[in-house]
Amino acid sequence: MKSLLTRLGLAAALLLGSVSGVRAADPKLVVAFLPKSKGNAYFISCKAGADKAAKELGIELLFDGPTDSNAAKQNEIVENWITLGVDAIAVAAENKEGISTALRKAQKQGIKVVTYDADSMPDARSFFVNQATPEGIGQTLMDEAARLLKAEGEFAMITASLTAANQREWQKHIEARLKEKYPKMKLVAVRPCDDLKDKAQSEATALMSANPNLKLIMAICSPGVPGAAEAVKQAGKTGKVKVVGLGLPNENKRYVHEGVTDSVILWNTGDLGYLTIHAAVSLAKGTLKPGAKSYTAGKLGSFTIAGDNILLGKPFIFNKGNIDQFNF
Amino acid sequence: MSSSQPRNWKALLLSHEMLLLYVLIAEWLFFYFAGTTVNRRGVTVGFGTVDRQFDILRHSCEIGLLALALTPVIITAGIDLSVGSLLGLCAILFGKFWKDAGLPIPVAAFLALGCGALGGGLNAALITSLRLPPLIITLGTYSLFRGLAEAITRGAVTYTDFPAGFLFVGQERWLGLPTQAWLFFGVAAAVWLLVHRTTFGRSFRTIGFAPEGARYAGLPVERRVAMVYILAGLIAALAAIIYTARLGQAKADAGTGYELFAITAVVLGGTSIFGGTGSVHGTLLGVAAIAVLKNGLACLPAVMRLNAAEDMSGLLTGALLLLALTGSVLPKLLSSWRAHRPAPAPSAPSPNPQPSP
Repeated sequence: MKSLLTRLGLAAALLLGSVSGVRAADPKLVVAFLPKSKGNAYFISCKAGADKAAKELGIELLFDGPTDSNAAKQNEIVENWITLGVDAIAVAAENKEGISTALRKAQKQGIKVVTYDADSMPDARSFFVNQATPEGIGQTLMDEAARLLKAEGEFAMITASLTAANQREWQKHIEARLKEKYPKMKLVAVRPCDDLKDKAQSEATALMSANPNLKLIMAICSPGVPGAAEAVKQAGKTGKVKVVGLGLPNENKRYVHEGVTDSVILWNTGDLGYLTIHAAVSLAKGTLKPGAKSYTAGKLGSFTIAGDNILLGKPFIFNKGNIDQFNF
Repeated sequence: MSSSQPRNWKALLLSHEMLLLYVLIAEWLFFYFAGTTVNRRGVTVGFGTVDRQFDILRHSCEIGLLALALTPVIITAGIDLSVGSLLGLCAILFGKFWKDAGLPIPVAAFLALGCGALGGGLNAALITSLRLPPLIITLGTYSLFRGLAEAITRGAVTYTDFPAGFLFVGQERWLGLPTQAWLFFGVAAAVWLLVHRTTFGRSFRTIGFAPEGARYAGLPVERRVAMVYILAGLIAALAAIIYTARLGQAKADAGTGYELFAITAVVLGGTSIFGGTGSVHGTLLGVAAIAVLKNGLACLPAVMRLNAAEDMSGLLTGALLLLALTGSVLPKLLSSWRAHRPAPAPSAPSPNPQPSP
């Protein structure tokens, strides 16, 4: 028993020694980066950008998150970081109100908080790094569709549901852009797919048979893009009916390489992580303050700040040329 | 008498609960020395801060309550897999009573507690009337309660914006301790008294050890077993209210997986999964050992850099449980091995017989 205790004590002392050694030589700024779930490829690609920023800025980056999207675990992780006394926390909120109680507590202790990807309550953070405005998404989708059709012809739209707030918002901006810039294009139908790939496929098939002059299908929910592409491919209309949409590179790679889908639109997740960490560090150092109108983040240059949203800017277009560089 | 005294002391010092206490103290000291640091601004941070200790308490209240609820259940040789799901359902109902029905918080809380007891009552009715294994019944209600919670909210509604007075229960301190800790300690004391100091509670062990024997001895086995599950439901509902107050939100996924942590804590605390033996203080030590391990790991810089706090705490909790189970079985194995071993004969062949040329 005694020898066991001595050994335990020795082990503890050794570990303690090594730990404090690391700490003393290492008075770096510590920024903690919280994804919705840490195994999600989307957030892993955000982290790649965050790591790049951390290296450039010479800070220590902590990355932790629930293994599944779990709001309670997010709170526990943030509370853990609070007692560790990190300098700044960057959060993609799983639950807007739930996380805010923990973030307010962090702010009370002098820790700077930014959110990215999914916002908390506005009073619980200094800035939200907004990856895409509805306006930016709507305009980019419409411009890309017009480019492919040379601004002429019929197209149809597949949404997740006719009631979902974000879908309606995007649809509104798409229609506004259409009315304003492309008079020779015509939106013939908008169909919901309930966020299901199978339903999107059958809706796309129905759209093609009901509208023989259809030139393009635009899907604005992520399962809709591969669903529409599969329908076009099976109908043997590859190239005749084009597909564009808002989605993730991985689930569309196959169709992009086969020439069914032309462009997939999203934002550059690496840039999102990079910008978020830069903003968090500048906040902690006091070089970025609430009320600022623009912000310069390292190699990426200047970003507009609208109110308390730092805008990542124009969405990113994935196509045959670049889609293989992304893995999420 | 005087000759048996040292032996009792030795037995006490080597009892399961005491061993668990040593492990807990060792864990705590280790994390105190290895997980406490001074940060860039010269502030002491990490495990060795009062805030951290209170966080551990706050984070373990709900799982601790479920473990308390499960201790009598497991002592009667039962199991309740549905407590985590019932926590989720009660959290949703509590939110619904308050927000959608417009009831005052205390009334909503009271109704939620009633729903918890009803949920436990459903388990009890099925288990005692169908005479099916509790594992199967509560596996069914495990899905049923969670499914109901998701159906009520259609998986999308989250109840928030609770008044500050209610959030006080989960986020603030009262008389020096996190508010919910008082509730937790109150329930712990009540369950301890029930299990260890009342004839009613002591009968749980008899029932768990030999249900038929208990029946022949005239114990109302069904009624007692039913009480145990209803109590579990009630405590799960209390955990739901505390959970909602701590996070400031009620969502259908509340408490997912908590039942497994709670069962782990109970078994780690020395309660036999076959029923018949167990103690409430053992369960409390089990909860503390798991909570300190989980929170302490998150304070170690080495673990932090690997982003592995979550995974490592799972791994080490599992290892600790297996170690405790092995430890509890080992003495029995050893004694049975000794009993079956033939008496050592001095004239037996030498221990290392070398083949002679």
